[in-house]
Order: sequence, then structure tokens, then C-alpha cells
Amino acid sequence: MKSYITYISTQLRLTMRDRTVFIFTLLFPLMFFFIFGQTAGKGGAINQVVTMVLVIGVLGGGFFGGGIRATMEREQNILRRFKVAPITPMPIILSSLVSGLVNYLPVALMIVVLAHYRYEMPWPKQWLSLAVFLIAGVLAFRSLGMMIAAVVNSMQESQVIIQLLYLPMLFLSGATFPTSMMPTWLQMVSQFLPSTHLFQGMQLIIVKQEGLLENGWKLAAMLATTVVGILVSFILFRWEKEEKIKASAKAWLLVVMLPFFVMGAYQSYTRDNLAKNKGIERELRRRHTRLITDVRVFVGDGSVIERASVLVKNGKIEEIFTGQAPTAKSVNADEESAAGKTLMPGLIDVHTHLSAPGGYTDNPDYYNPDKNVPRRMAAYLFSGVTGVKSLGDGLDLMEKQAKLLASGEQLGAELFYVGPMFTAEGGHGTEFFKLLPEQIRVQAMAQTLRMPKTAAEAAQQVAELKPHGVNGLKAILESGYGSTVFNRLDTTVYKAIVAAAKAQGLPVSTHTGDLRDINDAIDAGSTSIEHGALHNEIPAETFARMKASGMYYDPTMTVYEAVLATAQRKTELLDRSLVQQAGPFGLIQSSKQWIQSGKLGDWSPRVPALTDGYAMAKKNLLNAYQAGVTLVTGSDAGNATVSHGPTIHREVELWVEAGIPNNAALQGATGNASRLLGVSNRIGFVRKGYEATLVLVDGDPTKDISAIERISRVFLKGEMVDRTNIFEDYDKK
Amino acid sequence: METAISVRGLRKTYGTNEAVRGIDFEVQQGEVFGLLGPNGAGKTTTVEILEGIRQRTAGDVTVLGLDPDQQSRQLKDRIGVCLQATNLPDKITVREALQMFAAFYTRSADCDKLIDRLQLSEKRNAHYTTLSGGQKQRVALALALVNEPSLVFLDEPTTGLDPQVRLEIHSLIQELKDSKRTLVLTTHYIEEAERLCDRVAIVDQGKIIAQGSPRELQERYLGKSRIGVDVEQPVGPEGLPAFLFAEKTVISDDRKTVTIESPAPAKTLVEIVKWIDQSGLGLEDIRLKRPTLEDVFIELTGKKLRD
Repeated sequence: MKSYITYISTQLRLTMRDRTVFIFTLLFPLMFFFIFGQTAGKGGAINQVVTMVLVIGVLGGGFFGGGIRATMEREQNILRRFKVAPITPMPIILSSLVSGLVNYLPVALMIVVLAHYRYEMPWPKQWLSLAVFLIAGVLAFRSLGMMIAAVVNSMQESQVIIQLLYLPMLFLSGATFPTSMMPTWLQMVSQFLPSTHLFQGMQLIIVKQEGLLENGWKLAAMLATTVVGILVSFILFRWEKEEKIKASAKAWLLVVMLPFFVMGAYQSYTRDNLAKNKGIERELRRRHTRLITDVRVFVGDGSVIERASVLVKNGKIEEIFTGQAPTAKSVNADEESAAGKTLMPGLIDVHTHLSAPGGYTDNPDYYNPDKNVPRRMAAYLFSGVTGVKSLGDGLDLMEKQAKLLASGEQLGAELFYVGPMFTAEGGHGTEFFKLLPEQIRVQAMAQTLRMPKTAAEAAQQVAELKPHGVNGLKAILESGYGSTVFNRLDTTVYKAIVAAAKAQGLPVSTHTGDLRDINDAIDAGSTSIEHGALHNEIPAETFARMKASGMYYDPTMTVYEAVLATAQRKTELLDRSLVQQAGPFGLIQSSKQWIQSGKLGDWSPRVPALTDGYAMAKKNLLNAYQAGVTLVTGSDAGNATVSHGPTIHREVELWVEAGIPNNAALQGATGNASRLLGVSNRIGFVRKGYEATLVLVDGDPTKDISAIERISRVFLKGEMVDRTNIFEDYDKK
Repeated sequence: METAISVRGLRKTYGTNEAVRGIDFEVQQGEVFGLLGPNGAGKTTTVEILEGIRQRTAGDVTVLGLDPDQQSRQLKDRIGVCLQATNLPDKITVREALQMFAAFYTRSADCDKLIDRLQLSEKRNAHYTTLSGGQKQRVALALALVNEPSLVFLDEPTTGLDPQVRLEIHSLIQELKDSKRTLVLTTHYIEEAERLCDRVAIVDQGKIIAQGSPRELQERYLGKSRIGVDVEQPVGPEGLPAFLFAEKTVISDDRKTVTIESPAPAKTLVEIVKWIDQSGLGLEDIRLKRPTLEDVFIELTGKKLRD
């Protein structure tokens, strides 16, 4: 023990005296840091810069500080002297690891501190994980360095091997430029390199605030490399340059890196890390600092700031300057000059069906939810709809999509979902499944429907959904009209659903068709009324009750208008610019063709009833507004020709047509909707500290509601969405 | 006296190359034993086996009662070694080096006293790289003594040093000798062996070809001194008379120099001088040369130590 302590402490003192150590471990990293920091230091990029510099430091320390040094000491006959002393090689090997840490960690700390104070990088939340991970990285690369020294016969050989390992590890790991710039095959190759995992793990910890647990495999691989590296370099240790080792011993290097080859092989199968890299890049884009200047702000609560500058930083609204705004340069931000435009909270559609195509087509491609939902979520984002609630889609797909969207691996609107819809056997919602073949039907219904027969069953089904991360529940009370009749959910069962949901803290959206449904929903304590009633005028006292209990009213005007237009064989709605931009082109063309050609059959007999119903819906909406009921925008997209994406824009236009003031309508699509979703503490408003999830439109929708369709920019959690290329992955021919 | 080192039938082969081909010797405690031989004779291999840093191929070896192959850690703990061509890190100070190495051993000397003893006091805090060759060698000697060893191996301790420094090192080794330690010295300097060693083994091509005290060897293998005489007038064709004890008489081509070998040079010399005086050849110069280890070596191997 005494020999370990004395040897190691002497070595530490020696490295402190060594000017080259000072240059390599302190000056170089700092130089890199300032060069990278100065060129790319706005917002999120500084996180990248810090990770780069830290990883370059670990690699340099391991290969040059560890590997070259150990070889040099043997070549210069220094180790020879120790051979005649009664010690094993262990103190020498361990001392290299310890010096690695002692030389490197203060520099790492200094870089993080500098990044914080000089370039405003937030303190790493998972600083303990970062420290442990970084220490494991230093140890792994030092061991690798010692291994190199153990298997080479001369300085020249060690130089060659170090360059062969160091250069690819430096350039392919992301430590010098983002891996996303590389072709996929090269990204896969990089997964076999230890440095890639070091780099990615650090990014995940710094940028995505992950802990050690999420990076457990990476950590385990580095520790395995450390242990195997120490053991093998101990066994192969040579004290004298005259002792030569067989060329085949170099294969031990591969053994030491084996954990990473296993990880690489696993990655080439799962591609998890490639997806994670997308998430990291997303997060970095989200942290960009941007100043949106001279813009009109629609706050989301109905109020308007005529001229302001909004500073977006680290994904949040950092500050709203209403008077004298600082220059973009002074706050280290990129400027987005927005005179003549209006900045609003990102729009929210509280009623969609993402698996349904939202158009008429017999192309089976549009019916595959797994393929289409990601594009539809992108179309929403493209259109400035940053929050989307699915009120009835396959549970597994929704759960998966919500995670991918939340992590940023997939770019699209934020997804809220209820999963399956609660209805009666043979109730509304079940009719869509009748046409499906038996095998598919069972599966599809299990994913999309719940048909409890008793109150107890209902409560159990609700409880089972909660762990799937649902953001609410949907129950259907509508029992049809005229010749179309459905079974209706038993009132007791319905009440049990609502009660169970409330007990779980889940809001309930109730699909209603008539006044009775609405009254039952109010009685049960439903959170929102979806659709309302097409054939009854909802009386003032009902709205008064809704208002009193704080219920939300979602009139889904868009879907009524679309059905009526279809019955009238009108297709103008599909010719709107934003609808055409959001596409998909083939679906829109097909819908138009089907409607115009009469392929859907003759709907003309339904036109009078649809016209009346639509008028009634408008009337009820205005009454609801006048009664002071909280209004929210839902489109029922997926139905008829309500294609996903440009939905809520038409909804607010129809509200304005119905007589509701612009600001109130826009509030229904922003602040009110965020309250219904239970996220009004972070989205739905342009306020300091809120997520920078925003839409910038040309013109002033508070005066001209059609401006809402003229999307200039969309921001999601601080990222300025690249709208131009957003469909690139989906619309490849 | 107890035996410090005992070697029987020691062999060491590297592949097909036989570096040591059956060596036997013993070193007694307190003795200074020298292994003398040219480069590549197998001296260093032999001592490195004794030091426990190289495994032998065959033979029995005991050093301080330990088997260097099986008990190398215990052995290394008790011996001191001054290797040829070792270095220390550039920036280490003399004191740090001694203290670091002292920490490796069970017993350790007082480093400051050791520094003083090896006349390194002024260089105590100097970096290794700033030391002269002689100072570096003294540090190497100090390191060999850092654990107060009773047995010290000195492998070519003065090779590559200039004559002045070599003398300094010699006097240090002389001091060690006086402190009753057992010393094993390898060298290819005859003078060093003659001056420092109690006993010498002459090693050539992996074998010991002679051993004994320097004087014993001289007498055993070359018991004859050589007398050289220069005369003013050439020696006549009748040659020289048979002097007392004279063996092997050689006359030079110009017949003015005569070399005579004799086991009793004093007696032979008196007769020669008398005869020259009587014959009137005129004595110009006279030399008496005793045999050296070098001569022994040449005699035994037919080659010089330093080519």
C-alpha cells in the first residue's frame, strides 16, 4: 500500500512539473473551447461545444497522456529501474489512471464553469451522473492507453496504433462535428467506437438531463474496458524495451474494446442510438437563443401587446420586452425580425382521430396508422398546431408516438391522447369496425374501444388505462338520429367512467349528440362536451350549468362544414393554400375527385338536414359564447375532408363567422385549450417562463381572422421548426 | 563464513541461443566477487538471474538462501541492484527518487544520510536530467543501497564514464567493501576487477573459464614474469647463454632487444645484468613486467577483452 501511495503521489508531482502535460491537458482544451465557443456559442450549441471539448480531453489524455507516456518510460529505460524493486506493475498502471483523473477533472470543471458564466450554459442538472460518467470515461481511455503501451514494441508502433484509434474516435464520435452530418452507414460504424458512446452519453446527460441509469450500458461498457484493460496490461506488462512482444498480442486491443463492439452490433440491429442522437440534436436546437423583434403578441388570454420583442432561450420565453428592447447581439441571440406579424401561442386541436385519413381515398397507404400518424403530427406542426389531442385511436400507437414526439426523436406536434373510446356494445364508434375482417377487427377494437357492461368493469378499464399515460378519457353518449341509431352507453356505466377518471385525475371528454347527452354529461361531471347538439337548441340554463361547473364546449364546426360541403359536392375548402401546403397531395386530389365525381354516392337528400344541423351548431356556439361557457377548438380531423394539420384555423374562422369576436375565438385555440389539457402552466400563453411553443403569422388575426392561415414561423419548445423540410422523410417518392 | 550465493550448472537459453552454458560458482558473505568477460559473454544474464528478474533455463541457484525464480519478491526486497543503462524521469529530484524507491522495501535507509554518503548533498533537490554522468551513476548506487542490502549487484558500474569519474566510483565501491557487504560486480575492465575484487570469475561464451583471486589467477595461469633488455651493440650470432631459470628467450630482428621469461625474475635478472656487463654489449634499458589478468584472459581465450 505504501508503495502505491508513494509511487502515485510522486508521479502526480512529476506530471505537475511537466510542461507538455500542462499544454495538452489545460491549454489545448481551453483553446478549443474558446474557438468553438466563440463561433457557435448561441444557446444550445454551447452544450455541444462543452461535450466536444470534454471528450477531446478524455481521448487525448488516454491515448497521449496514458499510451505514449507509458511506452516512452519503457523505451527510456525508466521502467527498467523499477523491475529490480520488489513491486508489481500494478502501481504503475494505476498511477496512470489516477494521474489521468487528477490532471483532467479540474480542467473539465473549469470548462463547465466557463461555459456557464461566459456562454450562459445552464448548470448540468445531472451533475453527479456527469461526473461519474466522465470519470468512467477517463478510466476507460487511460486503460486503453495502457493497453496500447502493453502491446507495442516501439515508440513508432505506438504512434501508429494511437493514430489509427485516435483519429476515427475523434472524428466519428461527434466530438468534432455532429454525427448527423454523416451518412447512416458511417453513423453505424461509429457505434463500434468507444468514444461515440462516451460522447453520446455525455450529451444525453448534459442536454437531455438523463441519469446514469439510462446510460447504464454505456457506463458498464466503459467500466468493463477499464477492468479488462487493467488486467491485460498487467499480465502483458514489460519493464524493458528489449523484451519484445509478438505482433499477435495486438489482438488484445480488440478484446479490451469488445464491450463496445457488442454495443455496436446491438446498435446496428436496434438503431436506438441513432434515434437518440436525433433527440439530442432536437434538444440542442431547442436551446437556441432567439430574439423575435417588433412583433404583435397575442397572449392567449384574449389580450394583445401591440409591439414587443420576445426573447426565447433554452426552450422557454425568457423575457417579453414591451418598451426598449435590447439588441439581439447584446443578449447573444439570433434576431427574428417580425414587424407586421403576430406571435401567438401554438394552436391546439383538442379533438382529432389520427389514424383516420381525413379524406376520401381507396389507396390503402393512407389507412396504415403506423406509417401515417408521424406525418400527420408533422403536418400539424407545419400548420402551427403545436398541441393535438387524439380522442380515439389505437392505444399502443398513441403511447409510442407520444414518447417519440416528447423526446424529440420525431418532429411533430405535442401529442395528448385518450387511447380507446368508451362506448356501448353496438354504440357509436363501433360501426367503423364492422367492415374489417374478423382477425383485424378484434385487435383494432381492443386498441380503440372499451365497452364496459357494468360500473365496476368501467372503473377497472379506466384504472388499466392510466399506466399507459393517457391524458384523459373519452366517452360516447350519442345514440344517433333519424334512421341511424346506435346503442347508448348505460347512464350508470357512464357515470362510473367519469367518476373513475376523475379519481385518477383524468379529464373526460364526452361525445354528445343531443340535449339528453349533454345533460347527462353535465350531471356526471364531464370535463368537456364534444360536438354539442345538432338537432336541439341548447337552452340557456344548460349553458348556465356548464358555465357554473367550469365545463368546456368544443363545437367541432369544422367537421360539420366539411360534411355539408361534401354533400353539396363543393371542394373549395381543399383549395386553401395552407391545406394544400400541408397535404398530402395525393389524398387531397383523391378527395376532390371522389366528391366531384359522385363516387361517394348521391348525398343530396341529406343536404337540407345537414344545412339545418350546421346552422343549429352555429347558433348553439354563439349562445354558448354569450352564456360565458369556456370554448375550445376541436376539429374532429380524420373525418370527412378534415385532413390533419390545417384544422383549427378553419375552426376559428367559422367561430368568427358565427359571431364570436376574433380574440375570443383565438383564445379558444390557445389559452382555453391548454387549460382543458391541463397544461396551462407551460403552454397556451405567450408569457415569461412558458415554453417557447409559438406560431408567428403574417398579419393580424385579431382583426382579420384569415391571417391565421398565413403561417410565417413555428416554434416548438424553442426550436424554430424547419417547415420546408419537415415532410422530407415521409413524402419521398 | 556463510555462502551468500551458490550457483550450480546454471544454463540460460534464448530460443536456440545459449547465453549461459553451465556455470558454477559460490560467493561467500562479505566477499567482493567479480564476473569478468567481454560484452556478450553472459555476465549480465547471469547476474540478472541472480537478481530474480530473469528466469533460468536449468541449474540450481540460491541467493541469500532464496530461489530467485520462486521467491523473487522476497529476494528483491533484500538485495541492492545497480543496473547498467537505467534512467529516472527527467523532472524527479534526487531526494524524491530515493524516497520513492525506499517506500518499496521493508527496510529502508535514511535517504538524507545516503545522499551525503554518496556526495550528492548539493544535488539533493536537483532534477535528474540536470545531473552529470557520474552524478547519475552515484544516484544509481544510492538506489541500490536504499534498502540497506547485505548483498549488492553492480552491473558494469563504470561503463561509459570518464576515467576521473570511474575513480570516484571505485572509491565508493571500496567503501562498500569496507562496510562488509557482499558485492557482485560485472565488468570488462581488468583494472576494476584487479583493484576491487576478492575473487574473479572469467566468463567467456557462457562459461566460466577460470576463477580465483586476481593473484592466484596470475600465478596459476601465467606464473612467469617477462624481462625485457635493450642493449647498445647487437647480440652476436652465438646468442645468449642459458641463464638461471630462464625460459623462452626471444631476440629481436635488430638483435638489440632481448625478451626472457622467468618464474624467478629476480635471480634471472642478476645473471643477465652480469653477462651484459661482461660481454661489453652495453646496457641501455631494462624492464620487468608482471602478468596481468588481461594476460590471463588473452592466454585463456586467445582474444583481448576490448576490441
